[in-house]
Amino acid sequence: MSTTEETLTLAREIAGAWDWATEVVQPEENRLDVYLKNPDDLVAIVTGLRVKRLGYLAAITGLDLGTEAGELEVLYHFCAGAAVITLRVRLNRQETAVASLSELIPSAEPYERELREMYGVTINGLVAPDYLYLPDDWPTGVYPMRRDFDPQSLLAGNGARTVTE
Amino acid sequence: MQIDQQRERFTIPIGPQHPALKEPGHFRFTVDGEIVIDAKVRLGYAHRGLEKLAEKQNWVQNIYLFERVCGICSHIHSTAYCLGVERLAGVAAPPRAQAIRTLVGELERIHSHLLWLGVSAHEAGFDTLFMFSWRDRETIMDLLEAFTGNRVNYSLNVLGGVKVDMTDELAKTVLAGLDFLEERTHHYLEVVSKDTSFLQRTRGVGVMTRHQAEVLGVVGPTARASGVTRDIRHEAPYAAYVDFPVRVVVDDRGDLEARFVVRMKELLESYRLVREILANLPDGDLTVRMPRRIKAGETVSRVEAPRGELLYFLKSNGTDTPERVHARTPTICNMASVVRLAVGHQLADVPLILAGIDPCFSCNDR
Repeated sequence: MSTTEETLTLAREIAGAWDWATEVVQPEENRLDVYLKNPDDLVAIVTGLRVKRLGYLAAITGLDLGTEAGELEVLYHFCAGAAVITLRVRLNRQETAVASLSELIPSAEPYERELREMYGVTINGLVAPDYLYLPDDWPTGVYPMRRDFDPQSLLAGNGARTVTE
Repeated sequence: MQIDQQRERFTIPIGPQHPALKEPGHFRFTVDGEIVIDAKVRLGYAHRGLEKLAEKQNWVQNIYLFERVCGICSHIHSTAYCLGVERLAGVAAPPRAQAIRTLVGELERIHSHLLWLGVSAHEAGFDTLFMFSWRDRETIMDLLEAFTGNRVNYSLNVLGGVKVDMTDELAKTVLAGLDFLEERTHHYLEVVSKDTSFLQRTRGVGVMTRHQAEVLGVVGPTARASGVTRDIRHEAPYAAYVDFPVRVVVDDRGDLEARFVVRMKELLESYRLVREILANLPDGDLTVRMPRRIKAGETVSRVEAPRGELLYFLKSNGTDTPERVHARTPTICNMASVVRLAVGHQLADVPLILAGIDPCFSCNDR
């Protein structure tokens, strides 16, 4: 088993092949953050990680950077031993769209569905159309983990989705 | 005359309220006769929005909040959270506190695995084993209550340490309890690997190869029963696991029997660890001082819950409340494997395949 340093060095090399599109920061000893300048590069870089068999997708975290920043951030955590490599993508709050990883990594599906429901991120290429967590009558366009989510909007009862299944 | 034969297919909805499934999940199994040909899952019936609520509570209140993600593995949730917050603050809990965290983590694993043994035996129709294992589980529940004051949700962790100390007298009681449980566990290990009628329900059922386990991203004992050596206690030791290394239990067979055997052997390993910790408990303080405001930053905290890898992502903005707390629980990873493994099996095998991953719906839903 390779050590944490070896893993992080390999991750740096992979990100280095995309140096015009990425920015690499090491916030902690065992972590490497790879900022992607363009969300379109995500699948290509994840493919790079897969080809080198670097880690497994441990989680996808959504972050709302607030209405002022006007952006959402999506974090893809890849773990190998003690090392955590995080690919970070910024998305416009209004037109959030990111490619699905579920073709490459089948276990990404539940994380992506959670991200879509809680943050309203459109996942291009994700097949499952129904909700995983939210109820069928959840109003469209209301995303509970966003900063500007107003619980009162649930009481209005308007725009509720009809039961599809 | 030619008849266009099309077999009738039924979709059987199970849950969220169902007598055979004690927790709220909704499954839709499409069957052709007795054979499952498609499976779908819906979750969220116990969703409490804890991650959203965490943004409104301060760092200390959130310990108690995240302890309540799950009633079975509550301690490991608060441990993951506290370790993460301590790392953000640049503080390390004293060695004695770390050892006590690890100790209770292992006691909790024993209680969780015994509970699982009972639930799975019940799903297999072996209620005698269910009642015996739950009777024995009371031993560990009593020990946890004697130590922390609570049967579940122990509230042992505080930021920067633990609340209660282990005394010599209590250590003797724990050791006596473990002697009894070890004897019982050897018996259960024999039952799950030798009892003919039980093996008819488990041997060769729900087989997941090592490759499938890796592709589906399963974690914990479910992965280890398919030959994947993945254990955070071993890969990225946290708390006191550096000083008390764990021997990872792996089985290559990948069927339900292997999942039973792996968990029983993990029980034996936990007894060994608890004894070792009690014999070599470091001296010193139980807590260190923690700042009320936590430095701005992000961290990822990973621990091995009874069901597998538990990951916490924490983001601080420098105030006394977190910016974001994200908990990725092991059942989310394992649930996808049930939906895939069920296909091709008899419908009657599905409850046991589901029980085989030790699903926890309250972890799933948060």
